[in-house]
Amino acid sequence: MSVVATGIAVTSTAGACHPPALSDLAALAQVLWQFLSLSLFSLGGGNTLLAEYHHISVEQFCWLTNSQFADLYALAEAAPGPSSMIVGLLGLGAGWKEGLPWALLSAYGAEIAVLLPSTLLMVLACLRWRTLEHSPWRVAFERGLGPITLGILFAVGVKIVRTADVTRSGHLSVPGVMVSAVVCVLMLRTRLSPLLFMALAGVLGAFGIINR
Amino acid sequence: MDVSATDSARPIEEAAPAPGLSELFTGMLQVALSAFGGGLSAWSQRIVVEQRRWMNNEQFLTGLTVARLFPGPNQINMAVYIGTSFRGLAGAFVALAGMLVIPFTLLMILGVAYFHFHELPAIDRLLAGVVAAAAGMALSMGFRILDQYRNDRVALALAAAVFLGMEVMHMRLIPVVLITAPLAMAWYWPRQQVRR
Repeated sequence: MSVVATGIAVTSTAGACHPPALSDLAALAQVLWQFLSLSLFSLGGGNTLLAEYHHISVEQFCWLTNSQFADLYALAEAAPGPSSMIVGLLGLGAGWKEGLPWALLSAYGAEIAVLLPSTLLMVLACLRWRTLEHSPWRVAFERGLGPITLGILFAVGVKIVRTADVTRSGHLSVPGVMVSAVVCVLMLRTRLSPLLFMALAGVLGAFGIINR
Repeated sequence: MDVSATDSARPIEEAAPAPGLSELFTGMLQVALSAFGGGLSAWSQRIVVEQRRWMNNEQFLTGLTVARLFPGPNQINMAVYIGTSFRGLAGAFVALAGMLVIPFTLLMILGVAYFHFHELPAIDRLLAGVVAAAAGMALSMGFRILDQYRNDRVALALAAAVFLGMEVMHMRLIPVVLITAPLAMAWYWPRQQVRR
């Protein structure tokens, strides 16, 4: 399974994939293009792109390890503001080895790249909504893409669980998976703040009950 | 998330005058900062509809429909909708800036702190727990919208095919969407007069 392989490859930093140096502007442009091209495929909100973000930053360019990706996901979820700002954190990680200016440049660049196309389309949609609203295209798009979004969100959920709840040696962490399952149920059944769950799970981690 | 149910009992009040650019900025900033750890659309409704009375509930929900329909993060799209409704393109830009500039700067500070300190064993242990909870949140996203497709077998089959394509066959998102979207749209193309 790819989880095991990347986990080992990345921690030893001698894997098959070498992160590109973003101070090489061609490499930076290539990275920004990845985010730019994904923008219009973020159906049903930004979260549907998370599996692709993981692919880009852990598997394709190996800026991050699996656990770093999971950490940044949690950070973006916990911080105030839209959680889609995770792209900025991924960009920061991408340029981190080349120093803060490059890290910030790629952070801002990646965030703008992922938001620009969808935002421009949204502006057009708002201005033309009256004509779009009753078009059969809109009806078909809305109904047809709902189930696809559903499938993607499940794939994303499983991907994040397999990224977060693994040990350094690449095995699934049983206590981690159990906590994820419990939090999943509580998120659906209660209206408690996810921050509470993160704080409690953090305590479990600090005492070594969940580890990686 | 069911936003419409939260405040439907509220009396209808007079709409406030259309917000200017600086109000759009501070309003969206307030939304972004209120929504610590999710629930952004509920906060956005509370602030835009109830507190500041820029829009009525119906206008807000129309915006949410458009924001969810089109690609892009829902909250970002919602900011664009609110900004465009009052001040056109400039409004969209300012509303977006309000929602993003300060939260993004805060997040960058957090990110820099993370990359400096994440290798400390104490921090790493703490995060090992935190990410397990965060993964549970990610897992709940699919279940949250599963219910509405309970009686639609075609939808469930489509969702299963997409899931298997990504999870088992390791297909990338873009080809998955490009293959399944035309099929799904053809299947769901409105045949008779659509009633909603």
